[in-house]
Amino acid sequence: MAVTLNSTRFGEVEIPEEAVIEFPHGLIGLGGNRYTLLARSDDAAFVWLHSLDDPALALPLTNPWRFFDSYEVEIADDEASRLGIESTEDTAVYVTVRAAESLEDFSANLRAPILVSNGLGHQVINQAPDAPVRAPLFPANVEERAA
Amino acid sequence: MLIITRRPGEKIMLGDDTVIEVIEVSGSSVRIGIDAPRSLPVYREEIWRSVKEENAAAASADPDVLPDDLPVTK
Repeated sequence: MAVTLNSTRFGEVEIPEEAVIEFPHGLIGLGGNRYTLLARSDDAAFVWLHSLDDPALALPLTNPWRFFDSYEVEIADDEASRLGIESTEDTAVYVTVRAAESLEDFSANLRAPILVSNGLGHQVINQAPDAPVRAPLFPANVEERAA
Repeated sequence: MLIITRRPGEKIMLGDDTVIEVIEVSGSSVRIGIDAPRSLPVYREEIWRSVKEENAAAASADPDVLPDDLPVTK
């Protein structure tokens, strides 16, 4: 059954049942168990992870490899099995985006990616060594603007 | 806060299913083992706190400041 979302940001949006993502543990510090992904277009740089329980709760996400070529996610095998993740192929990986007035202050949280697989979502702690909580998304812009 | 003195090898039960064990004390470090149900996420507090802060910051985003379709700058 479709769900009608009355978003404070995006107004009324019909969400088909298959687009509902269950987060058994919510997002760290935010809770909420049902979310969906909203995008303005198929290749939009940012998508919104929108709560279906709280009309004001939504976070911009991005595909980390769009900005960070060598990004890696490492989670322990027992953690992966705890989350029910069997293969990486059918798991989508997103990172949360901290937006700002100017692009050079945008950052992504590479430490705590969001994994979505088979209608289930989890925010996990990435064990890979180079995974800052605030990785600048547009470091090149700093030089461009200074020039 | 409940404060309990334990020695290495001794444990604490949180409810019936979660076991905290003091494994080793060495100088100012304590190694702790945690045996929790699969449904209970366990985090180092400082990481949990920084992720919680980032999530809250991300959730305050205004759609108007997000570029719709960025050219990929690589």
